[in-house]
Parts: sequence; C-alpha cells; structure tokens
Amino acid sequence: MSNVLIAPSVAEPRRVPLTGRPRPGEAVIRGALVACGWFVLATTLAMLGFLARTGIRGLGEVGVGALLSGDTWKPEAGSFGGLALIVGTFATALGAIALGAGPAVLAAVWLTEFAGESVARGYRRVMEIASAVPSVVYGWLALVYLVPIFEKLAHAIRGDDAPVTGEGIAASAFLLAVMIAPTVLLLSLDALSRVPRPLRDASAALGASPWQTAFSVSVPYGWRGLLVATFFGFARAAGETMAVQMVIGGARRLPRDFFFSPTTTISAQIVMDMQEARPGTPENDVLYSMALVLLSVSVVVVLVTRAMARGQAR
Amino acid sequence: MSTTRSLHRSQRQGSSREVALKRVLGIGASALAVVYALGLLYLLVRGGARLWSFTLYPTPLAGVDNEEAMRFVVAAGVFGLVGWLALALVRAVLARLERPRFAAKYERGAVALVALAGALVARDHLPRFLVLLPSETKAGGGIGPEIFNTIYFAVLSTAITLPIGVGAAVYLARFARSQRFVGAVRMALDTLASLPSIVYGLFGFLVFVVEMKAGYSLFAGAFVLALLNLPLVVGIAEESMHAVPRELDEASFALGATPVQTALRVTIPYAWPGILSALVLSVGRVFSESAPLIMTAGTTISRSNAYSLNPFRGGETLAVHLWYVNSAGLAPDRADVSAGTAAVLVILVALTNLLASRFARYGGAEGTRTKKATR
Repeated sequence: MSNVLIAPSVAEPRRVPLTGRPRPGEAVIRGALVACGWFVLATTLAMLGFLARTGIRGLGEVGVGALLSGDTWKPEAGSFGGLALIVGTFATALGAIALGAGPAVLAAVWLTEFAGESVARGYRRVMEIASAVPSVVYGWLALVYLVPIFEKLAHAIRGDDAPVTGEGIAASAFLLAVMIAPTVLLLSLDALSRVPRPLRDASAALGASPWQTAFSVSVPYGWRGLLVATFFGFARAAGETMAVQMVIGGARRLPRDFFFSPTTTISAQIVMDMQEARPGTPENDVLYSMALVLLSVSVVVVLVTRAMARGQAR
Repeated sequence: MSTTRSLHRSQRQGSSREVALKRVLGIGASALAVVYALGLLYLLVRGGARLWSFTLYPTPLAGVDNEEAMRFVVAAGVFGLVGWLALALVRAVLARLERPRFAAKYERGAVALVALAGALVARDHLPRFLVLLPSETKAGGGIGPEIFNTIYFAVLSTAITLPIGVGAAVYLARFARSQRFVGAVRMALDTLASLPSIVYGLFGFLVFVVEMKAGYSLFAGAFVLALLNLPLVVGIAEESMHAVPRELDEASFALGATPVQTALRVTIPYAWPGILSALVLSVGRVFSESAPLIMTAGTTISRSNAYSLNPFRGGETLAVHLWYVNSAGLAPDRADVSAGTAAVLVILVALTNLLASRFARYGGAEGTRTKKATR
C-alpha cells in the first residue's frame, strides 16, 4: 500500500489510508470520541437495567397476576390492580390513532399529490409548530374547552341523570388525536416524498389520472412508511403523560362508563404517585413495574419499525 | 416538482367523481391546517392580553439575588425580538418595492442596538407578568423565575448534549471500525428515541433523587433532558456529516492532515449548520418537556434562590408551571396565568422552529441544497 511511503510510522496502514502522521494528543481525542459512543451505550443499558431491577422487584412483591387482573389501584391500601391503568393507556392511545391517523395520512396524501408547492410549504410550517407545541398547552386547552363540551355530549348520549362526566377516555382520546395528528402527518409526508419520481411519471404516461396515480402508485409504494408513522403516533400517544393526566379524571379504577367517566393511565398514575410513594416501598416499586409495561410497548414498536424499514430498504 | 405539476395538468384530470373526491380531500386537509393555525393564533391572542401590558411606573423589585440582571436579559430579549420583527417588516417592504437591499451589513448591529437600548431604558417597565415572581394563592403572579429556569435548562442540557452528541456522531460517521459496536450504539439510540419521556423521568428520579440522595435539582433535570435529546442530535449530526462531500475529506488527507485534524477542521465545520439545527430543535424539546422535569427538578420556586445560577437547586420551568397552576394552584387568576404562560411557550417554540429551519437551509442533512441535489 502506497501510504507506507508517506507515513512509515503508522502501525496499521490498512486502517489509516493515505493520511498524515498522527500528532501528539490525537490519541486522546480519538479516545474521547470512542468514549462518547460508549456513553450512549452505557447510559441506555443503565437506564434499562435500573428500571428492570426495580420493576421486577415490584412484580415479585405484588405478583404478576394481581397486577394484571385487579381493577382498583390503591397502593397505600395494598391493592395493586394495574388493569385500570393498562386499559386506560391502550384505550386512549388506540382511540387517538382511530381518530387522528386517518385524517393525518389523507392530508399528507393530498399535500404530496395534489397541493401546490407554496401551499405545501406553509402547511408544513404550521404542522411543525403544532407538533412542537408543549403537551401541557394541549392539556390545558382541553381542560378548559374540551371537557365541558364532552360533558354536554356525554349527557346528550347517556341521558341527563347518568353518572357521567366530561373527563375520561373519550376526551383523552380526542385530545391525543389532536396532539399526534401533526406528528403522523409530518412522518407521512416524509414517507410519501420518498416515492420515486419515475414511478409517478410512468403512471401518468400510462394515462392514469392524478387520483389513480396517488392511490394506485404512491400510497401502495409508501404504505410501510405510512404504517411506521402511525406506529410512532401510537407510541407517542401511549407514552403521553401530562396532557392526559389533566383530562383523564384521575380516578384510580376502571371507568364506570367506558367513554365518559374518570379513570387513569400508566404514565399519569406514575407522575401522580411518584411524589407521594416513598422510595423502596412496594408502592413505589410497582410504579416501575408499570413503567416496564409501557417500555415494552415502545420497544416492540421500535423492533417492528426497524424490521419494516429493513424491508423497505430491500 | 414544478414539472410534475405541469405534467399533471396537461394530462386528463380524471372522471368527475375523482375531481369531486379530490375537492373533498382538499377541503378536509385545508380545514385541518386552518384549525391548527387558528388554535395557535388563539393561544397568542388569549395570552397576549396578559403579556401586552407595559407599565408606566417601575415594577418593584422583589429583592432576590440576580433579579436585576435577569430583568436586563429579559428586556434585551423582548426588545431584540421587537427589533428583529421590525427589521423583517422593513425587509419585506423593500423587497416588495424591488429596492436593492439596504445597508444589510448593519442589520444585526441595529437589532443589537435596539435590544441594548430597550434593556437599558425600559427594563423596569416590562410587562409585570414576565418579571414578577409567581404567586401561589394571590392574583397577579408572574413567571420571571420560570423563564429564567427554562432558558437555564436549555443552556445546561445543551452543554451536555453538544459534546457527547457531536462526539458520538463523529465517531459513528468517521472513526467507527467495529461493525458490532456501531450496531449496538445505533440500537441504543433507537431505543432511547422510542422511550416515553416519563421513563426518563423515572430513571432520573431513581439515580439522582433516590440513589444519590441529591434531592430535586436543575442538574438532574438537564441531564435527563440531554439523554432525551441525544438520539435526535446524534441522528441529524451524523446525517449532515455523511452529506459532507468525500472530495473535501480526501483533499484534506492529501494535504497530509490526519483523520482527527480532518474531522475537526473539515467535517465538523462543513456539517455545522446541520448540527446547529439539531441543537436548536433539541432546545425546543427542552422548552416543552414537563413530565421528566416534575420528577427530577420539582415543581417549586424558592424565593431565596429564584434566579440562582447554582445548578444543584430545584426549580420549575414554564411548561411545568402551566401544569402546576392548573392542577394544584389556588390563585384566582390562574386562567390568565395559564394563558400567558402558554403564549410565551408557543412563541419560544415557534422561534426555535424558525431558527432550526433557517440553519438547516444553509446545509446539513435537511438542507434544501442537498435535497435539490438528490431530487
């Protein structure tokens, strides 16, 4: 190799091709760079390890069966019914996807296929800001404006005397739908913008109308990306804490009326109980167990999206 | 893109059913954006009432350490923003009149001058809401310490994210040798990116409050936020380093530079706009995150060290304040306090977004230049 002529003192010529002689002190910089990589790896492992250790201790103290079946969450009285939390989390997140993902994906299709470029740019800017607005702001707006509307709605549906409130799964799901729609829309835009130009041109050359091109070429080509966007929306909705905490009602049991009565979610309950439960007690440990449930949901989402991304790359 | 459009127009429009469907889709999609835009505007107007009240008489000082310095900084920020907006207006008018750009090199100086003059003259006549201490039970509380803490959090967490994020990105983009190690780091980053923020909060609580018995502190919160932002910063920084033309690196090698010199003097400077836009985006996330901060930095403002630079005290940010006021606050004007806090948050987030896209335009992974090149 020719670099031997330039830098004879380089010990491993194959790894450092055609470059100058290392300066003193460069080993330190290289070491620091490797350390950054190790830092990322080590903190991730530490995080998962810490949570798993405490969470599994909590599972051992309470028992998996009790945690997953009981319907009342009252740790201070020794009643660890995590079912209400799990049901609340999944019901709100699935509701959010059902309400929010469809419009977001359709809007993304319209933007990439039919809208003019300046419209698309302005639209994108609005959605970027909307997706960056703090979740507590959404939560506060929902608390002030959405909950009263849902209260009226609940009474209109269930009757005036029914024991229903505006707080609960319906209001939370609607709020989450509003929150995740911009995120899903932006990710869908990215997915659709990766559809190759030649495919669209070929479709047009075959005489297809814009509508046919959009729904027979672009959407089928980008469907993995659209699905990944929806998955991310689901993960964000399931992990959302403060906004949901403000409108879910904070009753620590399964809701009396599935849509319109107070209940709770995993993350909302963690943030509420964490300030009270003393560290090291079962009340505290079991919160980490619930966090493990939440964490496994997001890890599953990562594995699925990674697998899908690999499928797309092929 | 424009050629695609003309191609579409010249071809057949499709059946009348398709045209109608297209119109329905367009109306629906536009309505969606209009709802969000009106919502953002409403937040600004509703909270603006609380913000827009410059006072004729000086606002009394609460007698807290660093309070005067803080007022100076807030005033400089407010007037800098005003100057910048005025400048943008002038520029837009000049562009409309098709006049050549006017004294462009003095623009930044003019904005800085407006900010400085405003801060010197009007620092005690700012909207009281922006500079007063919050009040738990009485009406008329402000968000001065919350603004300070929010910005201090951004500085602290960027001080952690910047070296580690850029270091890891340089390593992954230029120095990585072991494929297995690289795969593991990427997997770790993917995992970090997917974790709900509450999980970060639990981790920070466990490590700093429980194990180290350090209590709630800004440092714990900033560390947790830095971790939260690492995947974003490493991802964008690495992408913008991959976008650096190979020829540049090779030219540097050909001049006898070592890989480390090349990375420090060629790769990072060229990729810097992309890195900067990632950092600005991560600052936006610091502004808006609340759950992990409640568990690591607490929900209180202590009068004795409201503006203290000591990172080992606790303190709440704007987002946490908005939550706290609505879930535990007793102040009779909490609706107005919430509206004002929300408006400040929306302004901050919108500013970071504009800045990030402006940096990204000058290069980096998301730059329009690279996008145009690949299109």
